[in-house]
Amino acid sequence: MLSPIEVALIKALELGTEYSLEDAAKISGMSRDAVLKAAHMLKEKGFADVITRTEGSYFLTEEGRDYLRRGLPEERLYDAVRGGEDDIEELKEKFGREFGIALGWLRKKGIAEVDGKRIILKREYGFEERKILGKVERGESFPESFSETVLKEFLKRKLISFDERKRIFIKILKKPETELKEVIRDITPELLASGAWKEKEFLKYDVKVPSKTLYAAKYHPYERIVRECRKIFLEMGFTEIKGNFVQSSFWNFDALFQPQDHPARDMQDTFYLDRYAELGEYVEEVSQTHINGWKTGSTGWGGEWSLETAKKLVLRTHTTAITIHHLAKNPEPPVKAFCIDRVYRRESIDATHLPEFDQLEGVVLDRDVGFRHLLGLLKEFFMKMGFDEVRFRPGYFPYTEPSVEPEVFVEGLGWIELGGAGVFRKEVTEPLGIKGKVLAWGLGMGRLAMLRLGMKDLRHLYQPDLGWLRDVPAIMR
Amino acid sequence: MPVVTLYWDELERMVGASRERILGRLPMLGCDIERVEEEYIDVEFFPNRPDLYSVEGVARALRGFLDIEPGLKEYSVGEAEWKLEVKESVLAVRPRIVGCVVRNITITDEVIRSLMQIQEDLHWTIGRNRRKMAIGVHDLSKVHFPLRYEGVTADFSFVPLDFDEIMTVEEILSKHPKGVEYAFILEGKDRYPMIIDSRDEAISFPPVINAEKTRVTEKTTDLFIDVTGFDENVDKALNILAAMFHDRGGEVQRVEVVYPDRIERTPNLEPKEFYVEKEEIYGLLGFKLGDAEVVKALERMRYGVEVEGGTLKVKVPAYRADIMHPWDVIEDIVIGFGYDRIEPMYPPTNTVGMTHPWFETKDLVREIMLGIGFLEVVTFTLTNERVEYEYMKRDAKPWEDYIPLQHPLTAEHTILRTSILPSLLEVLSLNKHHPMPQRIFEVGDVVVGGQNRLRLSAAVTHPRANFSEIRSVVQALMKELALEWEVEESSDKAFITGRGADVIVKSRTVGSFGEIHPGVLERFQLGNPVVALELDLSAIFDTGELI
Repeated sequence: MLSPIEVALIKALELGTEYSLEDAAKISGMSRDAVLKAAHMLKEKGFADVITRTEGSYFLTEEGRDYLRRGLPEERLYDAVRGGEDDIEELKEKFGREFGIALGWLRKKGIAEVDGKRIILKREYGFEERKILGKVERGESFPESFSETVLKEFLKRKLISFDERKRIFIKILKKPETELKEVIRDITPELLASGAWKEKEFLKYDVKVPSKTLYAAKYHPYERIVRECRKIFLEMGFTEIKGNFVQSSFWNFDALFQPQDHPARDMQDTFYLDRYAELGEYVEEVSQTHINGWKTGSTGWGGEWSLETAKKLVLRTHTTAITIHHLAKNPEPPVKAFCIDRVYRRESIDATHLPEFDQLEGVVLDRDVGFRHLLGLLKEFFMKMGFDEVRFRPGYFPYTEPSVEPEVFVEGLGWIELGGAGVFRKEVTEPLGIKGKVLAWGLGMGRLAMLRLGMKDLRHLYQPDLGWLRDVPAIMR
Repeated sequence: MPVVTLYWDELERMVGASRERILGRLPMLGCDIERVEEEYIDVEFFPNRPDLYSVEGVARALRGFLDIEPGLKEYSVGEAEWKLEVKESVLAVRPRIVGCVVRNITITDEVIRSLMQIQEDLHWTIGRNRRKMAIGVHDLSKVHFPLRYEGVTADFSFVPLDFDEIMTVEEILSKHPKGVEYAFILEGKDRYPMIIDSRDEAISFPPVINAEKTRVTEKTTDLFIDVTGFDENVDKALNILAAMFHDRGGEVQRVEVVYPDRIERTPNLEPKEFYVEKEEIYGLLGFKLGDAEVVKALERMRYGVEVEGGTLKVKVPAYRADIMHPWDVIEDIVIGFGYDRIEPMYPPTNTVGMTHPWFETKDLVREIMLGIGFLEVVTFTLTNERVEYEYMKRDAKPWEDYIPLQHPLTAEHTILRTSILPSLLEVLSLNKHHPMPQRIFEVGDVVVGGQNRLRLSAAVTHPRANFSEIRSVVQALMKELALEWEVEESSDKAFITGRGADVIVKSRTVGSFGEIHPGVLERFQLGNPVVALELDLSAIFDTGELI
């Protein structure tokens, strides 16, 4: 099935004749581009051959083109000389700058000579060589013998130049046997209603040509990772929890046995609000635990404990503020809960630090579980995340004992520290009436995003570049 | 967390092991190796182990951990006649002081380097930048006992370290670099802590600066160390320093501190006894461990231990500042046993998973928005009044509506947002160079009056964006959410008058949509029309209980 331009070309050219691209365009009345496109399409189907040859050709220079139009200077001087001889000064005035060239060539070719102030023609001359310029202009061939000396002269005079150029030739190899029918481009409701398509053929498209770009509406790549983590937690039987960004220092710090003078509670690192929360239960137990250990078997931090400091509102610095409050409300085992949400740190923005980011956290409350089960949880969780190799090193977090820093093996990067974990201290669980041991682990989602999306700059996650969002594929490794 | 520089030649010599062996096991003791060089390593130790902030402390721990010298290390303290009297006048300012004397120590560059490092790290960690605890180290030969520790007035004067002229306390606090740095600790006090010797010359002005006269030099052979503060943190720091010099071969001697109501003799390097139940160990570990293994693990961590039936009598070295609870000892059993030797086991805890309505609602709305053809974005919840209200031609009150930060770090982030739309306009503003049309949305948190609310906002921009386009989106959305809704002309100045609409569900305004006012577009530097919508999903749906 041939397209309209293929049909037009194949009809215009004769079988077996080799046409230059220029000639084919002239004969078919099509543009050179259309001929070329049609010729290549015909070649694909075996109807034509497209031959590219490198040929040396002569081309007129600007001066050559000028002389072709006006005549060679010596020719014009020859014509100007009246009656076989004339006055040099007069002619010089008439010819101006070109006089020297013209006279020089007349003398060189032995047509004229100078005698004092007179120029005298010696013989008749036809100036056949001018025709060469016309032949070069038209790309015509000329007899070899004739060309030799003249071409040399014109090359020397820079009237013509010699260049190697690619030229394209087209030869029709065969013509389609069947009649060349009208083809259908767009299918219309009219065409379908009339059934006229049954007599016609469909235009074949080049399916390899790309179309206009279309951008998919899709999830943010980071939300995809969140969704994956949620799925893992739900598969493992965890309950999803959610809390407010604004929390009291009590739940963000004190309930987690963070001493009130701990550097992490410093104004430098935490966003405080100039307001205070009303605190309910647990204040007495927690404050006593801080001061002297209460009934937990701990020595406590000693010193004083300020209610005012605990009441101070804060933008939560970790999701643990939420998980610990959830456990206080649900102190009877078994409990499994998780939280993936926004937290805040008073940090300047750079490629790896943001004032707000998302954290993932999971807790298990049960009676007969211990450190080994925490490691089991971590291993399972990371395996589900696609990290097959996990190892553990001692770590330190103020509210867990023992504490552990899990590391996962990432091809090309080696062992990467990924989050932290531990068993909540008794100083944390007992004042809140939590019965049993709490296994807890958490990690920054940004770190996961960096590993998963190969990101180097966390700012991309929250300051969206539509180019990046449109580019990054939905499927992840 | 403090990063300690450990020089290989010293460390290898003190530990008695090769650097390969040390490097291989050190991380399993609990630290992060920051940098490994030919001459030294930089190691970050955790804030609960200030005893590891010196090469002496690390070597001591490693000799146990590598089974070279396991078990409790004995520290002897010599008795002598060093007396220090605490006066009533200092009790209200900085009430506690302890001290010790170290004899026959060779002060080499190594020792000075180690001492300066641990002093600084202890000041930061235990001392909380010298507030809770500060250390002074003196050349004993220049100190004339007995000493007194008293509260002096601002006109008291002496020659402070690094200066060659007499200065009053007042001058030191306003002119001396250390005085300027630490003046905040003594702010509002009318008495200043001063340690004065029997010649009535000051030797130290804690927690600010020592006197020049007791400066430690390479000729020093004996030291007097004072530690001041408020509570037992001073003992912790002193014990760590005393153990460190003891390890260096110095003879530690006691100082008698005479308070108005009591006498203390410091340092006390006797180990503290802790009783740990075996059942408690097995419970926290999640598995049983034979007595021999438990004892071996504790000895590796340099504890003394005796098994008494179901109980372990554990002797905790005096330099350990972190042992508050039997669980702290159990953690060391786990470390001594080796984290890498524990077989992980998935917990038997059987529960049924459950999602939270907040995220269910979020997911549903996101699905619909994707279906309508919008690209999801995620933005910061921190913003500022200018973008949130001024640019949007909107009014809002602090606390009632939005939450202002008390100490913002930048002018860009001063409040928590109450609306998502300004964040989306910022996104469009940053992405003007990308192909049109742009259709974006976010389902996320805003905080109104301190409570989180779930909101949806969506925005469309291209040269022909108009009211009917966004109304179609709202219609489709409300249809998918099966909501009965009405529309009223909106008074929100962010929209062009007559082209903004309030969405009303059950006679409550729950959102709005319309054509953004060119005045707003101008402020966001947007060159194409924008139409947008915002819905308060927490007002429409039950988004669940928030903690």
